[in-house]
Amino acid sequence: MFLALREMRRTKARFGLVVAAVALLVFLIFIQLTLQNGLLTAFVGAIRNQSAPVLVYSVDGRRNLQGSVITPPLEAAITAVPEVGRAGRIGEGTFTATVDGDLADVALVGYEAEGLGSPTALTAGRFPERDGEVVANEADADLGLGLGDTVALEPGGLELTVVGQAEDINLQVTPTLFTTYDTYVAAVRSVNPDARDPLPNAIALTPAEGVTPDQLSAAVNAADPEADALPRAAAADETPGVAQVRQSFQVIFLLYALVVPLVTGLFFLIITFQKANALTLLRAVGAPARRLVAALLVQVVIVMAAGIALGTALYAPLSVQRVGSIPLRFETRAVVVWTVVLMLLGVLSSLFSARRVLRIDPVEATTGAGVQV
Amino acid sequence: MSDPTTDDTTDPAEPSLVLEDVRKVYRMGDSDVVALDHATLEVAGDEIVALVGPSGSGKTTLCSIAGGILSPTEGRVVVGGEEISDYSPKQLTTFRQDKVGFVFQAVNLVPFLTARENLLVVDELGRRRGAPARQRADQLLEELGLSARAKNLPGQLSGGERQRVAIGRALMNDPALVLFDEPTSALDTKLGEAVMELIQTEMKSRGIAAIVVTHDERMVHYADRVAHILDGRLRA
Repeated sequence: MFLALREMRRTKARFGLVVAAVALLVFLIFIQLTLQNGLLTAFVGAIRNQSAPVLVYSVDGRRNLQGSVITPPLEAAITAVPEVGRAGRIGEGTFTATVDGDLADVALVGYEAEGLGSPTALTAGRFPERDGEVVANEADADLGLGLGDTVALEPGGLELTVVGQAEDINLQVTPTLFTTYDTYVAAVRSVNPDARDPLPNAIALTPAEGVTPDQLSAAVNAADPEADALPRAAAADETPGVAQVRQSFQVIFLLYALVVPLVTGLFFLIITFQKANALTLLRAVGAPARRLVAALLVQVVIVMAAGIALGTALYAPLSVQRVGSIPLRFETRAVVVWTVVLMLLGVLSSLFSARRVLRIDPVEATTGAGVQV
Repeated sequence: MSDPTTDDTTDPAEPSLVLEDVRKVYRMGDSDVVALDHATLEVAGDEIVALVGPSGSGKTTLCSIAGGILSPTEGRVVVGGEEISDYSPKQLTTFRQDKVGFVFQAVNLVPFLTARENLLVVDELGRRRGAPARQRADQLLEELGLSARAKNLPGQLSGGERQRVAIGRALMNDPALVLFDEPTSALDTKLGEAVMELIQTEMKSRGIAAIVVTHDERMVHYADRVAHILDGRLRA
């Protein structure tokens, strides 16, 4: 500690710069993690946070709720599967609505019964009990979708009143309202009075007693080749576009995972070379190599910890903002995981410098040759 | 002047350094280069020996072996009564911490440590005695006339002051032997003589043996004895 701390104290600018560089990278990692999670939640939150353990699409729908259409024969085949406990229709559509005086797109998800496609939990209010009542996404309250707010679907003017709020229930990055299946059907008819009753987009299932969601999905898929049943998490993750978004961000995070240790590794390698004569002198006067390596590692840990702390401090106020229609939030778990990963990467990156320190030959103090590559 | 805070473990009657028939051979490609050829030297408890020879004669190799920085290929090396001929690198590191002091020609001080910390670093990276070490560092700085410069970094010190700090650091572990490698080479004649006078005074007052490597014949009269070395062969 003696050597490490005194060097850092005497060369504040140098260590300050590397802390700032690490902090900037940490800030970028955290903010992009939050963006990724916010984007995916806004994209498939309605599927991830609906209550049915299994969703069944039609194969032609390609795992897209809006593109899937469940025909009556397919519905009959699904509900006849012995592993099915309860079954209920789900309908979904995007409508134009007057929200807070302005026209805006809203997605409407209709479910037949609570526990079969309704939001898993409410943060405020209650579930719809009468026609025209909806549950809205909590974060959309400031858009005019707060408790007690009313929106009118256009054309037709069907009024929907927000009676409940739930967390992260948007679909396709669009403000989403959950309602009863009957209200959903009424909404479709209000904007197109000539339309026939809409076919459901998916069937929500709960497994019979002793059956897992995976077993139920397999049984439904085996029963009818037109059925595409997926457990809830898979239904969210395999929504078209989700994997691509995740993959794109993973490439970015992989680059960061390379850049951060590269920055710290190069920094410590450069200062190891710069202070090579001092290190050689210390070895010559009897400093054990492990003590010099320990001093290096102490500096790495301090730099990484300070960089992560500063990066987190920069990230925290921005993480609770909103980017367009995507609400962000402070990702505690991601911060903890990345803190551990970055600390490990930082220490690993310094092993190159540590190797250089271990290779110092004290005899070089008599020649001034310093650290050898 | 002896140090009251530490025990003087070296018996003045016992030689501080004994080199017996020491050889050092380096392998260079397919051939062997003899850097030190059957060198024998004995340095008494408080004797100052000037080691004189041209570049490449083996002065630095001899000093490095005497100081436990290099191991001899053959022969016997005893410093302060401790035989180090067959020591492992780890044992030699501990030996250097405890038994010898060095003042090098090229780099002598850690640039980001103050004068006082340059003395304390020997203890901090070694045995960590704490308060006694701090007391000894302060005492050495005072004796070397550096108390007022204790908090200065090496870059803020003059050449002579830096050499005095290096001498202080070499004395921190109360060594049996101090090795000076061209201590005056970077100094002008006047300052060089002042440093040699200081070395002479400090070594004699503490009863510590020293080998001063030099190629400057003007400085040898500060030593008790002159040993000449040429092509690895010592003429004591």
